[in-house]
Amino acid sequence: MSTAVAVPRTHRQKEFRRHLLIYAGMTPFLIIAVFPVYWMLITALKQEPDLYRIDNVPFWFNLPPTLKNFETLFYQTNYGSWIVNTLTISAWVAVITLLTAVPAGYALARLRLPGAENIGIAIFMTYLVPSIILFLPLSRVVSSLGLQDSWWALVVVYPTFTIPFCTWLMMGFFKTVPMEMEEAARVDGCGQFGALVRIVLPVSLPGVLTSVIFAFTLSMQDFLYGLAFVAPGDQKPVPVGVPTELIRGDVFFWGSIMAAVLLVGLPVAILYNSFLDRFIQGITGGVGK
Amino acid sequence: MTGSSQTSGPDATSARAAAVSVGVDARSRGWLGSQTSRRLAFGYLLLAPASAYVLLLVGVPFLFSLYLAVSDANVGDPVANFVGLANFRAAWEMETFWIALRNSVTFLVVAAVFKSLLGTSLAFLLLQEFKGKKLVRALVVIPFTLPVAVSVLSWKWMYDSQFSVINWALHRVGLIGGYGSESWPIWLGQPHLALLACIGVNVWRTFPFTAIVLLAGFTSVPTEVLDAARVDGCSFFQRFRHVVTPMIFPILIIGFLFDTVFTLSDLSVVYLLTAGGPGNATQILPVLAYQIGIQAGSLGRGAAIALMLVPLLFPALLVMLRNLKRRDW
Repeated sequence: MSTAVAVPRTHRQKEFRRHLLIYAGMTPFLIIAVFPVYWMLITALKQEPDLYRIDNVPFWFNLPPTLKNFETLFYQTNYGSWIVNTLTISAWVAVITLLTAVPAGYALARLRLPGAENIGIAIFMTYLVPSIILFLPLSRVVSSLGLQDSWWALVVVYPTFTIPFCTWLMMGFFKTVPMEMEEAARVDGCGQFGALVRIVLPVSLPGVLTSVIFAFTLSMQDFLYGLAFVAPGDQKPVPVGVPTELIRGDVFFWGSIMAAVLLVGLPVAILYNSFLDRFIQGITGGVGK
Repeated sequence: MTGSSQTSGPDATSARAAAVSVGVDARSRGWLGSQTSRRLAFGYLLLAPASAYVLLLVGVPFLFSLYLAVSDANVGDPVANFVGLANFRAAWEMETFWIALRNSVTFLVVAAVFKSLLGTSLAFLLLQEFKGKKLVRALVVIPFTLPVAVSVLSWKWMYDSQFSVINWALHRVGLIGGYGSESWPIWLGQPHLALLACIGVNVWRTFPFTAIVLLAGFTSVPTEVLDAARVDGCSFFQRFRHVVTPMIFPILIIGFLFDTVFTLSDLSVVYLLTAGGPGNATQILPVLAYQIGIQAGSLGRGAAIALMLVPLLFPALLVMLRNLKRRDW
């Protein structure tokens, strides 16, 4: 009797010890990862004088919190236009990416094209040609299209990395759709195109959605193209506008700057977070397996 | 590859030609023949927009950058003359170029060491089963998922010369003196500290990536294989050394190379934190290429400096290519 009670208790104690160890190991990582975000948040909500009092404990409010930094952003800077620009650019990039990458991924995965493997790898490898090598020639392309100094330049340029990545991603998705479904549709009288639109696409909808998300989050990771191609203050996307327009010389309005980046950074981080495993699968080549 | 078996030869052009003449050929080649050629035509048609986009806006610009690098192209002057290797020679003779090259390599190596250490420890922790693991994992990958410009600005504020929260904490626990004292670090203002500060941000951004890639590798090892090894009498370390490591090596290599490419070519961290300063203490090749190519307007010389990254990137890309081609399709 006594042993029967003792066994689960030691087990539970062991589990407790194990959890304690894991949490202890995890704590430094969590602090390192999350503190900068917390710091942004608290800075964004603090009153200006509260940021510059070295005697106070800076981790909490010493003066009442305020939304003034957000007001400044929307009423005294181009922040509103930057948000609109960012969303419009992303929407266009997503549309262009979908219209090109989805068909390409389908063709490479399912139509048994000769050389499909090599074409697929070639397209994916272009994702790895870094923007730092392409931005100077692309600046010529952009200006010859007459798009310099407008956010349209970025709509043209961002698909250079979203198309390769999403084509690769869609290829993986389409491979997981059973061939029999499509064949059955063909037997029932669908054409090649009909089978794609009516059978394969609906089943691959999660993949299509993932591509849209990546078109958006990957665009947000860019800094160089935005910096190099778009000069006018009201044409910039948020990640470029904030560091180039809100910082004037040596004057930093840290409250507004943190408010500005947080408002965009946090939603992007959350979105990206929920699709991170797909991203890792994509780049490690574990296409849909 | 899944199936080039059906069609032994035809390339894109002949497939398209076949598609055009399908009406005539259909009867003689029979049902199967017309199906095949129509399928190929359909396939290449679907493939065309993506291929054209990538070819025109990645392939052509890449070749164009080779051309720029051997020309005296300027932002203001549309006519460029061939100048041979003058841009490369000019870079070669520029002291800043060598500083930038050295810093780029130092940055890459030091960052890789630290993110491997942090990433591996984190991966082992995340391999355990514990309560709240999902939440912990979601929180700990935040640095990688935040847009880079956003997180760099946050760090710039934390590295502030006077109101740095890092310094505040270090001062409170007594590790450094007060503001203005000898031991008060000015993170972005002192040459050695500045490079370290930039590396720190890169490590912070990418160690979760390292961890997640490792984790993906670990979980891809089938438990049956491990059990089999255990039955055969392998110890934990033997299993790790002879079973797990070889199995996850391809994924590790890909993650490592991926990170190499993006760390070497990233301009945003250094540009936003220090713009290469103080002096040239944090100057790296991408920042130099931007300053010379766009800010000074010398497209040719900027392109030449950016292309100097290619010899550094090329081995990484080659290994990656081999790895992708070996993959089981």
